[in-house]
Amino acid sequence: MGGMHGLGEIGYRENEPGFHEPWELRAYALVQAMGTGGLRSHIERISAADYLRMGYYERWFTALVSRTIETGVITLSEVESGRADPTSVKATTALTPADARELPFRTPQAEQDIELTPQFHVGDRVRGRNIHPTTYTRMPRYTRSKMGVVERDRGVFNLPDSEGVSADPKPQHVYLIRYTADELWGYEASTNSSLYIDMWEDYLEPA
Amino acid sequence: MGTKLSQHNHDNAQDYTDVPSDPALRVKALESLLIEKGLVDPVALDVLVDTFENRVGPRNGAQVVARAWVDSAYKQRLLDDGTSAIAEFGYSGGQGEKLTVVENTPSVHNVLVCTLCSCYPWPVLGLPPTWYKSAAYRSRTVIDPRGVLSELGLDLPNDVEVRVWDSNATSRYFVLPERPKGTESTSEADLATLVTRDTMIGVAKVASPSLGGVS
Repeated sequence: MGGMHGLGEIGYRENEPGFHEPWELRAYALVQAMGTGGLRSHIERISAADYLRMGYYERWFTALVSRTIETGVITLSEVESGRADPTSVKATTALTPADARELPFRTPQAEQDIELTPQFHVGDRVRGRNIHPTTYTRMPRYTRSKMGVVERDRGVFNLPDSEGVSADPKPQHVYLIRYTADELWGYEASTNSSLYIDMWEDYLEPA
Repeated sequence: MGTKLSQHNHDNAQDYTDVPSDPALRVKALESLLIEKGLVDPVALDVLVDTFENRVGPRNGAQVVARAWVDSAYKQRLLDDGTSAIAEFGYSGGQGEKLTVVENTPSVHNVLVCTLCSCYPWPVLGLPPTWYKSAAYRSRTVIDPRGVLSELGLDLPNDVEVRVWDSNATSRYFVLPERPKGTESTSEADLATLVTRDTMIGVAKVASPSLGGVS
């Protein structure tokens, strides 16, 4: 939604707490306790109208329910009735209390220990490819066809677009790209401004 | 839900207060179901709730900032490799694999946003505030950062370069705000109390204690 107009008020409140209602924290803790892994792709499957209507933790919760049903450990009728199917086998807890004490401080390792020749180097001019994936993607619309400069090579990470679609990961270099505000936004650009964003190699072409 | 829809469309930022009871009941029902099925241990769940409520939050980030202000060698390590310098405090965790610290100076101002979701440096700031996750903040900060900052109470002169960090990939960003004037003799512990979460997102400056910055 970067660059869109008319999406309401920011609703800024100084030093606002991260959680407003106890259920938000419980929903968030349930996501962690279930250890479902990345829910972003499930969040992005929520239809645009529902997405904008829902609050942040409602999206997480919705994604958790659909992910958990998809993996087969609960069924839709169980969610609707709130009771376990009496014929279902009792599962073993994914997360013990001891694990729970340590889990929030465990840093995930998404960087891939793979040697790949980078297609781009610091200082190269690159252009965002004009692609419109129907899958999940981490390439914001506003970077398409825009020219920027490689500021840093971030290392090798799997392309998120193929996650959940293909079993084969697509490891590749991720680059920090700098775009001037003028390039991205034309005459409406903020004065003396620039934008930095990390982009996977598949999102870019030489400029 | 029909009547609620129109309310939401008029006021996205207030989503969380518009629907108080319904999500609470649904979350409770799912929690009971997952416990009944043996998928979630209720004690483990309470441990997680306690951690996110009490042990992770912007006080962590404030400690890091205060240390960087008083210890130039630490500041250099922080700017060179945010993740390992922050780990010196024992702060680590989800969304913390590649923490990059960007420094505000008299000539450069950095501000964070995530246009695709709400990526945020959890190990140092905890969970993000509602306004950071609002559609308006996410959509407007990239195209009109000066306007958004001004609306949030921070007017920057045009000779200060504004850098917007759309943190939506693998790295998370964290702003090292400017140390306020008049704090040359302030202790590291007292400095940390001046640093608010919003200054580490880059939508505010750290107030000088003489100007009533201590709250």
